[in-house]
Amino acid sequence: MNLPDLEIEKLGVRLRYKVRYQLGFACPDIDDVVQETLRRFLDASQADRMRTPGATGAFLNGICRNVILEYRRRLFRDAPMPEVPPEPPPNHLPPTELFELRDAIAEGMKQLSARDQQVLRAFYLEERSVEEILELTGLSPSNFRVVLCRAKEKFRQIYCDRVKSQAAN
Amino acid sequence: MTLIYQKAMETKLHADPVVREEIITKYLTRKLDQGTAAQFEDHYLSCQECFEEVRATELLISGLGRSGIERTQDHDVTVVRFAAPAELTASSLDLHALARMVQAPNETKVLIDLSQVSRIDSAGLGMLMRCYTHAVKNAGTIKLLNPTSQVKRVLSITRIDSVVPTYDDEKAALKSF
Repeated sequence: MNLPDLEIEKLGVRLRYKVRYQLGFACPDIDDVVQETLRRFLDASQADRMRTPGATGAFLNGICRNVILEYRRRLFRDAPMPEVPPEPPPNHLPPTELFELRDAIAEGMKQLSARDQQVLRAFYLEERSVEEILELTGLSPSNFRVVLCRAKEKFRQIYCDRVKSQAAN
Repeated sequence: MTLIYQKAMETKLHADPVVREEIITKYLTRKLDQGTAAQFEDHYLSCQECFEEVRATELLISGLGRSGIERTQDHDVTVVRFAAPAELTASSLDLHALARMVQAPNETKVLIDLSQVSRIDSAGLGMLMRCYTHAVKNAGTIKLLNPTSQVKRVLSITRIDSVVPTYDDEKAALKSF
């Protein structure tokens, strides 16, 4: 199976995100892990070793998990065990990325009404259930869906614009 | 077998945007169990739409979290701080959040920490003066703490610093109330 360059590039971006999620944003070896995973994936694809061609994501994820495991084993083998257990990777965007995007995020937030922000805050930050939010705000399930989709569309646009500007640079 | 799980996850994610958001939010906050997280990763690694949704949710969450202003109490003085770098300009959400907080009926002695504020415009200055008027009317006052050099310059040019006391030291500012 031969993948076009554009598809490989997109796979690389998604894979990089997954590796950053697993190893933490500050890990210095993210690119190495991504490159090694992609190399093994392409080797396997060219040699037709993928048993289920429809499950590309699962196959790639499996390879990536192995590469990450090997990376972690190597780290523990080479370095002395830390006295203090390492902190888990952060859940949020790294500060540098946030700083670059702060204007775009502020612009996106400005376009959301105070009520929409309240609803979204309850859903994402306070992690209330949908039923609870509907009861608190008096929204109907379809209204809630509209609020969610409208907000997501704005932020999806911010992300896509950023990818485009990065590609242009 | 993998294909069956992947198809099931795909159907679940693409059928209902609310269910997809719940899964994405749990994934981002690391509250998904290991098996479901792996299935979700299997899916977004091959689905650009869902990957974009993950990134968009991440930005949205950071936007919602960023607009927060921290409020602490020191005896009868309320200290207001920005949780992240902020701007007090006409288009800033922080401006409206600050105005709402400082102009609350029971807030009369307020210390506003401006150390995170990189820019202030006429709307920001107007809001500061409205807050000051509100406090004075309620027999209180507002004071400013640690303005950045750019903000300090604007406060000086407009002579607001001669009306609203400005401090560089928090202890001294709290003592002055």
